[in-house]
Amino acid sequence: MADGASIHLPRILVADTGRGGTSPPPGLDAGILLRNTDLAALIECALSNGTPPAVELDSIRGLGSDDAAVAFLRDKLSIEIMLTRRPQVADAFAAAGGLALLNVLAFDSTGLRRSLHGHPRRERVGTVISPGLVLHHMLPSELALLVRPLVAYGLIDNAGDALATLAVAEGIVVRPEVAQGIAESEALMRGVGLSPA
Amino acid sequence: MTSYIPPTASDFLSRLADAPCCAAIVDGGRLEAALGSRAPAVFVLRGNGLDLSDMIRRVHDSGKLIAVHLDLVDGLKADHWGVTWLARCGVDAVITSHGQLMPVIRNEGVIAIHRLLLSRREHLDTAVTALARSRPHIVEILPGVVLPAINGLLPPLEVPMLAGGFIRTPLDARSVLAAGAIGVTTSSEGLWDLQAAAHG
Repeated sequence: MADGASIHLPRILVADTGRGGTSPPPGLDAGILLRNTDLAALIECALSNGTPPAVELDSIRGLGSDDAAVAFLRDKLSIEIMLTRRPQVADAFAAAGGLALLNVLAFDSTGLRRSLHGHPRRERVGTVISPGLVLHHMLPSELALLVRPLVAYGLIDNAGDALATLAVAEGIVVRPEVAQGIAESEALMRGVGLSPA
Repeated sequence: MTSYIPPTASDFLSRLADAPCCAAIVDGGRLEAALGSRAPAVFVLRGNGLDLSDMIRRVHDSGKLIAVHLDLVDGLKADHWGVTWLARCGVDAVITSHGQLMPVIRNEGVIAIHRLLLSRREHLDTAVTALARSRPHIVEILPGVVLPAINGLLPPLEVPMLAGGFIRTPLDARSVLAAGAIGVTTSSEGLWDLQAAAHG
Protein backbone atom coordinates (compact mmCIF):
# COMPACT_ATOMS: atom_id res chain seq x y z
CA MET A 1 0.00 0.00 0.00
CA ALA A 2 1.48 3.34 -1.05
CA ASP A 3 1.98 6.03 1.52
CA GLY A 4 1.06 9.66 1.02
CA ALA A 5 4.45 10.65 -0.31
CA SER A 6 4.25 8.23 -3.23
CA ILE A 7 0.52 8.30 -3.98
CA HIS A 8 -0.20 9.33 -7.53
CA LEU A 9 -3.20 11.61 -8.00
CA PRO A 10 -4.58 11.05 -11.51
CA ARG A 11 -5.24 14.23 -13.45
CA ILE A 12 -8.68 12.96 -14.35
CA LEU A 13 -10.96 11.16 -11.91
CA VAL A 14 -13.87 9.54 -13.68
CA ALA A 15 -16.93 9.49 -11.44
CA ASP A 16 -18.65 6.12 -11.17
CA THR A 17 -20.91 4.13 -8.86
CA GLY A 18 -18.83 0.97 -9.24
CA ARG A 19 -21.79 -0.91 -10.67
CA GLY A 20 -21.47 -0.01 -14.33
CA GLY A 21 -18.03 -1.44 -15.04
CA THR A 22 -16.70 1.98 -16.06
CA SER A 23 -13.01 2.19 -16.76
CA PRO A 24 -11.04 5.31 -17.68
CA PRO A 25 -10.42 5.88 -21.39
CA PRO A 26 -7.00 4.57 -22.44
CA GLY A 27 -4.24 7.07 -23.01
CA LEU A 28 -5.25 9.39 -20.19
CA ASP A 29 -3.73 9.89 -16.77
CA ALA A 30 -7.05 8.87 -15.26
CA GLY A 31 -8.55 6.86 -12.44
CA ILE A 32 -11.95 6.02 -11.02
CA LEU A 33 -13.74 8.00 -8.29
CA LEU A 34 -16.40 5.95 -6.56
CA ARG A 35 -19.34 8.05 -5.44
CA ASN A 36 -23.09 7.84 -4.86
CA THR A 37 -22.92 4.14 -4.19
CA ASP A 38 -23.10 1.74 -1.26
CA LEU A 39 -20.68 -0.11 0.94
CA ALA A 40 -21.09 -3.45 -0.84
CA ALA A 41 -20.36 -1.92 -4.24
CA LEU A 42 -17.36 -0.12 -2.82
CA ILE A 43 -15.90 -3.34 -1.41
CA GLU A 44 -16.52 -5.27 -4.60
CA CYS A 45 -14.97 -2.58 -6.75
CA ALA A 46 -11.97 -2.04 -4.50
CA LEU A 47 -11.13 -5.72 -4.24
CA SER A 48 -11.68 -6.63 -7.88
CA ASN A 49 -9.92 -3.72 -9.51
CA GLY A 50 -6.17 -3.68 -10.07
CA THR A 51 -5.91 0.00 -9.19
CA PRO A 52 -7.73 1.06 -6.05
CA PRO A 53 -10.28 3.74 -6.80
CA ALA A 54 -10.52 7.10 -5.13
CA VAL A 55 -13.57 7.29 -2.85
CA GLU A 56 -15.96 10.10 -1.99
CA LEU A 57 -16.62 9.00 1.57
CA ASP A 58 -19.66 11.18 2.27
CA SER A 59 -21.67 9.68 -0.58
CA ILE A 60 -21.10 6.00 0.26
CA ARG A 61 -24.30 4.64 1.81
CA GLY A 62 -23.65 2.47 4.82
CA LEU A 63 -20.13 3.73 5.48
CA GLY A 64 -19.55 5.90 8.53
CA SER A 65 -17.31 8.91 8.83
CA ASP A 66 -15.17 7.99 11.82
CA ASP A 67 -11.81 6.43 12.59
CA ALA A 68 -13.13 2.92 12.00
CA ALA A 69 -14.28 3.85 8.51
CA VAL A 70 -10.92 5.47 7.75
CA ALA A 71 -9.05 2.39 8.98
CA PHE A 72 -11.28 0.15 6.89
CA LEU A 73 -10.61 2.17 3.73
CA ARG A 74 -6.86 2.22 4.29
CA ASP A 75 -6.15 -1.17 5.83
CA LYS A 76 -8.75 -3.45 4.28
CA LEU A 77 -9.40 -1.87 0.90
CA SER A 78 -6.04 -0.16 0.30
CA ILE A 79 -7.79 3.05 -0.73
CA GLU A 80 -5.19 5.73 -1.36
CA ILE A 81 -7.28 8.79 -2.18
CA MET A 82 -10.39 9.91 -0.30
CA LEU A 83 -12.64 12.95 -0.74
CA THR A 84 -14.70 14.28 2.16
CA ARG A 85 -16.28 17.49 3.39
CA ARG A 86 -15.29 16.67 6.99
CA PRO A 87 -11.95 18.18 8.07
CA GLN A 88 -11.40 15.75 10.93
CA VAL A 89 -11.92 12.74 8.65
CA ALA A 90 -9.50 14.20 6.11
CA ASP A 91 -6.99 14.68 8.90
CA ALA A 92 -7.39 11.08 10.08
CA PHE A 93 -7.06 9.68 6.56
CA ALA A 94 -3.85 11.64 6.02
CA ALA A 95 -2.53 10.45 9.37
CA ALA A 96 -3.18 6.90 8.19
CA GLY A 97 -0.93 7.52 5.19
CA GLY A 98 -3.50 8.31 2.53
CA LEU A 99 -4.09 11.38 0.41
CA ALA A 100 -7.20 13.18 1.62
CA LEU A 101 -8.96 15.88 -0.36
CA LEU A 102 -11.20 18.21 1.64
CA ASN A 103 -14.30 19.35 -0.20
CA VAL A 104 -14.55 23.14 -0.09
CA LEU A 105 -17.65 24.90 -1.42
CA ALA A 106 -17.01 27.91 -3.62
CA PHE A 107 -20.27 29.66 -4.41
CA ASP A 108 -18.90 33.17 -3.92
CA SER A 109 -15.67 34.77 -2.78
CA THR A 110 -16.71 35.40 0.82
CA GLY A 111 -18.15 31.91 1.21
CA LEU A 112 -14.93 30.43 -0.15
CA ARG A 113 -12.85 32.09 2.55
CA ARG A 114 -15.23 30.89 5.22
CA SER A 115 -15.19 27.31 3.89
CA LEU A 116 -11.41 27.26 4.03
CA HIS A 117 -11.29 28.06 7.74
CA GLY A 118 -11.75 24.40 8.66
CA HIS A 119 -9.01 23.05 6.40
CA PRO A 120 -6.44 21.04 8.42
CA ARG A 121 -3.58 22.52 6.32
CA ARG A 122 -1.35 19.56 6.92
CA GLU A 123 0.68 17.33 4.69
CA ARG A 124 -1.35 14.92 2.52
CA VAL A 125 -4.56 16.93 2.80
CA GLY A 126 -5.39 18.72 -0.43
CA THR A 127 -8.52 20.51 -1.58
CA VAL A 128 -11.51 19.74 -3.74
CA ILE A 129 -13.27 22.83 -5.05
CA SER A 130 -17.00 22.50 -5.73
CA PRO A 131 -18.22 23.44 -8.22
CA GLY A 132 -14.97 22.94 -10.05
CA LEU A 133 -16.04 25.10 -12.94
CA VAL A 134 -15.49 28.26 -10.89
CA LEU A 135 -11.79 27.55 -10.53
CA HIS A 136 -10.68 29.40 -13.62
CA HIS A 137 -12.79 32.40 -12.57
CA MET A 138 -10.87 32.80 -9.31
CA LEU A 139 -8.33 35.54 -8.67
CA PRO A 140 -4.68 34.55 -8.18
CA SER A 141 -5.04 35.66 -4.55
CA GLU A 142 -7.91 33.20 -4.08
CA LEU A 143 -6.07 30.36 -5.83
CA ALA A 144 -3.15 31.00 -3.50
CA LEU A 145 -5.39 30.24 -0.52
CA LEU A 146 -6.19 26.74 -1.78
CA VAL A 147 -4.09 23.96 -0.30
CA ARG A 148 -2.57 21.72 -2.98
CA PRO A 149 -3.07 19.29 -4.53
CA LEU A 150 -6.18 20.87 -5.93
CA VAL A 151 -9.02 18.96 -7.60
CA ALA A 152 -11.97 20.61 -9.36
CA TYR A 153 -15.28 18.79 -8.96
CA GLY A 154 -18.68 19.70 -10.34
CA LEU A 155 -20.33 21.27 -13.42
CA ILE A 156 -17.36 20.45 -15.65
CA ASP A 157 -19.44 19.14 -18.48
CA ASN A 158 -17.36 19.26 -21.63
CA ALA A 159 -13.79 18.69 -22.73
CA GLY A 160 -13.10 22.39 -23.24
CA ASP A 161 -14.06 23.31 -19.68
CA ALA A 162 -12.15 20.27 -18.40
CA LEU A 163 -8.93 21.28 -20.12
CA ALA A 164 -9.28 24.92 -19.07
CA THR A 165 -9.71 23.78 -15.48
CA LEU A 166 -6.72 21.46 -15.66
CA ALA A 167 -4.60 24.50 -16.43
CA VAL A 168 -5.06 25.63 -12.81
CA ALA A 169 -5.76 22.37 -10.94
CA GLU A 170 -3.83 19.16 -10.43
CA GLY A 171 -6.96 17.12 -11.11
CA ILE A 172 -10.60 17.18 -12.13
CA VAL A 173 -13.64 14.97 -11.53
CA VAL A 174 -15.78 14.35 -14.59
CA ARG A 175 -18.42 11.99 -15.88
CA PRO A 176 -17.32 9.12 -18.17
CA GLU A 177 -18.70 10.90 -21.26
CA VAL A 178 -16.60 13.96 -20.55
CA ALA A 179 -13.50 11.82 -19.97
CA GLN A 180 -14.11 10.22 -23.33
CA GLY A 181 -14.38 13.67 -24.89
CA ILE A 182 -11.05 14.62 -23.36
CA ALA A 183 -9.47 11.49 -24.76
CA GLU A 184 -10.72 12.48 -28.19
CA SER A 185 -9.25 15.97 -27.87
CA GLU A 186 -5.62 15.02 -28.12
CA ALA A 187 -4.61 18.26 -29.74
CA LEU A 188 -6.14 20.26 -26.91
CA MET A 189 -4.51 17.93 -24.41
CA ARG A 190 -1.08 18.68 -25.85
CA GLY A 191 -1.93 22.37 -25.61
CA VAL A 192 -2.12 22.26 -21.82
CA GLY A 193 0.59 19.68 -21.32
CA LEU A 194 -1.76 16.91 -20.25
CA SER A 195 0.52 13.92 -20.03
CA PRO A 196 -0.66 10.55 -21.32
CA ALA A 197 -0.80 7.68 -18.91
CA MET B 1 -42.66 62.02 8.05
CA THR B 2 -43.71 59.94 5.06
CA SER B 3 -44.54 56.31 5.61
CA TYR B 4 -42.53 53.76 3.69
CA ILE B 5 -44.42 51.69 1.14
CA PRO B 6 -42.83 48.25 0.68
CA PRO B 7 -42.09 47.35 -2.93
CA THR B 8 -43.64 44.46 -4.80
CA ALA B 9 -41.50 41.96 -6.65
CA SER B 10 -42.44 43.78 -9.85
CA ASP B 11 -41.14 47.03 -8.40
CA PHE B 12 -37.88 45.34 -7.55
CA LEU B 13 -37.51 43.83 -11.00
CA SER B 14 -38.35 47.09 -12.79
CA ARG B 15 -35.49 48.83 -10.97
CA LEU B 16 -33.08 46.24 -12.35
CA ALA B 17 -34.05 47.27 -15.85
CA ASP B 18 -32.06 50.49 -15.42
CA ALA B 19 -29.21 49.27 -13.24
CA PRO B 20 -28.85 45.48 -13.18
CA CYS B 21 -26.14 45.12 -10.52
CA CYS B 22 -27.12 44.93 -6.85
CA ALA B 23 -24.52 45.71 -4.19
CA ALA B 24 -23.64 42.71 -2.03
CA ILE B 25 -22.03 43.86 1.19
CA VAL B 26 -20.49 41.86 3.99
CA ASP B 27 -19.86 44.66 6.44
CA GLY B 28 -21.07 48.15 7.20
CA GLY B 29 -17.90 49.65 5.79
CA ARG B 30 -19.08 49.05 2.24
CA LEU B 31 -22.48 50.57 2.86
CA GLU B 32 -21.44 54.12 2.01
CA ALA B 33 -20.07 53.04 -1.34
CA ALA B 34 -23.22 51.07 -2.06
CA LEU B 35 -25.46 53.99 -1.17
CA GLY B 36 -23.45 56.28 -3.42
CA SER B 37 -23.69 53.94 -6.39
CA ARG B 38 -26.36 53.28 -9.01
CA ALA B 39 -27.10 49.87 -7.50
CA PRO B 40 -30.87 49.65 -7.02
CA ALA B 41 -30.62 47.35 -4.01
CA VAL B 42 -28.26 46.42 -1.22
CA PHE B 43 -27.89 42.74 -0.40
CA VAL B 44 -26.69 42.25 3.16
CA LEU B 45 -24.72 39.00 3.41
CA ARG B 46 -23.16 39.46 6.85
CA GLY B 47 -23.72 41.51 9.97
CA ASN B 48 -25.86 41.55 13.06
CA GLY B 49 -29.39 40.55 12.10
CA LEU B 50 -30.65 41.86 15.42
CA ASP B 51 -29.31 45.35 14.81
CA LEU B 52 -30.38 46.30 11.32
CA SER B 53 -32.67 49.28 11.88
CA ASP B 54 -30.09 51.99 11.19
CA MET B 55 -28.87 50.26 8.03
CA ILE B 56 -32.41 49.75 6.77
CA ARG B 57 -33.28 53.40 7.37
CA ARG B 58 -30.17 54.61 5.56
CA VAL B 59 -30.78 52.34 2.58
CA HIS B 60 -34.38 53.48 2.29
CA ASP B 61 -33.41 57.12 2.74
CA SER B 62 -31.11 56.74 -0.27
CA GLY B 63 -34.01 55.45 -2.36
CA LYS B 64 -32.71 51.89 -2.58
CA LEU B 65 -34.10 48.56 -1.53
CA ILE B 66 -32.58 46.24 1.04
CA ALA B 67 -32.46 42.43 0.98
CA VAL B 68 -31.08 40.48 3.93
CA HIS B 69 -29.69 36.95 3.81
CA LEU B 70 -31.41 35.16 6.67
CA ASP B 71 -28.98 32.20 6.64
CA LEU B 72 -25.83 34.31 6.87
CA VAL B 73 -26.47 37.21 9.24
CA ASP B 74 -25.62 36.73 12.89
CA GLY B 75 -28.19 36.40 15.63
CA LEU B 76 -31.10 34.94 13.65
CA LYS B 77 -32.30 31.44 12.97
CA ALA B 78 -33.53 30.49 9.52
CA ASP B 79 -37.10 29.75 10.60
CA HIS B 80 -40.56 31.31 10.65
CA TRP B 81 -39.70 33.68 13.49
CA GLY B 82 -36.45 34.81 11.89
CA VAL B 83 -38.42 35.76 8.79
CA THR B 84 -41.01 37.58 10.88
CA TRP B 85 -38.29 39.53 12.64
CA LEU B 86 -36.76 40.73 9.37
CA ALA B 87 -40.16 41.65 7.97
CA ARG B 88 -40.99 43.70 11.08
CA CYS B 89 -37.60 45.41 10.80
CA GLY B 90 -38.67 46.68 7.38
CA VAL B 91 -36.47 44.76 4.95
CA ASP B 92 -37.77 44.64 1.39
CA ALA B 93 -36.60 41.12 0.60
CA VAL B 94 -35.44 38.05 2.48
CA ILE B 95 -32.92 35.70 0.89
CA THR B 96 -32.55 32.11 2.04
CA SER B 97 -31.60 28.69 0.71
CA HIS B 98 -34.46 27.16 2.70
CA GLY B 99 -37.24 26.72 0.17
CA GLN B 100 -39.80 25.88 2.82
CA LEU B 101 -39.56 29.47 4.09
CA MET B 102 -40.73 31.02 0.83
CA PRO B 103 -44.46 30.90 1.74
CA VAL B 104 -43.65 32.43 5.13
CA ILE B 105 -41.74 35.28 3.49
CA ARG B 106 -44.51 35.91 0.98
CA ASN B 107 -47.12 35.90 3.72
CA GLU B 108 -45.15 38.58 5.54
CA GLY B 109 -45.52 40.80 2.50
CA VAL B 110 -41.80 40.67 1.72
CA ILE B 111 -40.10 39.70 -1.55
CA ALA B 112 -39.00 36.05 -1.33
CA ILE B 113 -35.62 35.24 -2.89
CA HIS B 114 -34.65 31.57 -3.00
CA ARG B 115 -30.90 31.11 -3.19
CA LEU B 116 -29.97 28.04 -5.23
CA LEU B 117 -26.46 26.71 -4.72
CA LEU B 118 -25.35 24.68 -7.72
CA SER B 119 -22.35 22.42 -7.33
CA ARG B 120 -22.99 19.22 -9.28
CA ARG B 121 -24.76 18.42 -12.52
CA GLU B 122 -26.86 15.75 -10.84
CA HIS B 123 -28.19 18.36 -8.41
CA LEU B 124 -29.69 20.58 -11.10
CA ASP B 125 -32.95 18.69 -11.51
CA THR B 126 -33.40 18.48 -7.76
CA ALA B 127 -32.82 22.21 -7.46
CA VAL B 128 -35.37 23.01 -10.12
CA THR B 129 -37.91 20.73 -8.48
CA ALA B 130 -37.30 22.48 -5.17
CA LEU B 131 -37.88 25.79 -6.89
CA ALA B 132 -41.18 24.69 -8.37
CA ARG B 133 -42.30 23.62 -4.91
CA SER B 134 -41.14 26.73 -3.04
CA ARG B 135 -42.50 29.30 -5.55
CA PRO B 136 -40.29 32.26 -4.68
CA HIS B 137 -40.69 35.67 -6.29
CA ILE B 138 -37.07 35.54 -7.47
CA VAL B 139 -34.34 32.90 -7.59
CA GLU B 140 -30.68 33.73 -7.06
CA ILE B 141 -28.27 31.28 -8.70
CA LEU B 142 -24.80 30.76 -7.22
CA PRO B 143 -22.09 30.64 -8.43
CA GLY B 144 -23.51 32.99 -11.04
CA VAL B 145 -20.33 33.25 -13.05
CA VAL B 146 -20.86 29.72 -14.40
CA LEU B 147 -24.40 30.46 -15.61
CA PRO B 148 -23.38 30.94 -19.25
CA ALA B 149 -21.58 27.60 -19.21
CA ILE B 150 -24.41 25.61 -17.60
CA ASN B 151 -27.31 27.35 -19.26
CA GLY B 152 -27.89 24.41 -21.56
CA LEU B 153 -28.04 22.02 -18.59
CA LEU B 154 -30.53 24.08 -16.62
CA PRO B 155 -34.22 23.44 -17.32
CA PRO B 156 -36.26 26.59 -17.94
CA LEU B 157 -37.00 28.37 -14.67
CA GLU B 158 -40.43 29.84 -14.13
CA VAL B 159 -39.21 32.70 -11.96
CA PRO B 160 -36.94 35.71 -12.60
CA MET B 161 -33.32 34.89 -11.98
CA LEU B 162 -30.49 36.78 -10.33
CA ALA B 163 -26.90 35.57 -10.56
CA GLY B 164 -24.29 36.02 -7.86
CA GLY B 165 -20.84 34.69 -7.04
CA PHE B 166 -17.43 35.42 -8.64
CA ILE B 167 -18.97 38.04 -10.99
CA ARG B 168 -16.30 40.73 -11.02
CA THR B 169 -15.98 42.32 -14.42
CA PRO B 170 -18.36 44.01 -16.86
CA LEU B 171 -17.76 41.06 -19.18
CA ASP B 172 -18.79 38.61 -16.44
CA ALA B 173 -21.93 40.65 -15.79
CA ARG B 174 -22.82 40.99 -19.47
CA SER B 175 -22.35 37.25 -19.96
CA VAL B 176 -24.71 36.23 -17.16
CA LEU B 177 -27.30 38.80 -18.23
CA ALA B 178 -27.11 37.47 -21.77
CA ALA B 179 -27.56 33.98 -20.34
CA GLY B 180 -30.94 34.93 -18.91
CA ALA B 181 -30.32 36.58 -15.54
CA ILE B 182 -32.34 39.73 -14.97
CA GLY B 183 -29.82 41.04 -12.49
CA VAL B 184 -26.51 40.46 -10.78
CA THR B 185 -25.53 40.49 -7.13
CA THR B 186 -21.89 41.35 -6.64
CA SER B 187 -19.48 42.64 -4.04
CA SER B 188 -17.30 44.16 -6.77
CA GLU B 189 -17.82 47.88 -6.38
CA GLY B 190 -16.74 48.51 -9.94
CA LEU B 191 -19.92 46.87 -11.16
CA TRP B 192 -22.38 48.72 -8.96
CA ASP B 193 -22.59 51.57 -11.47
CA LEU B 194 -23.06 49.33 -14.49
CA GLN B 195 -25.91 50.70 -16.58
CA ALA B 196 -28.46 48.61 -18.34
CA ALA B 197 -27.59 50.19 -21.68
CA ALA B 198 -24.06 48.89 -21.36
CA HIS B 199 -24.95 45.26 -21.08
CA GLY B 200 -26.96 44.84 -24.23
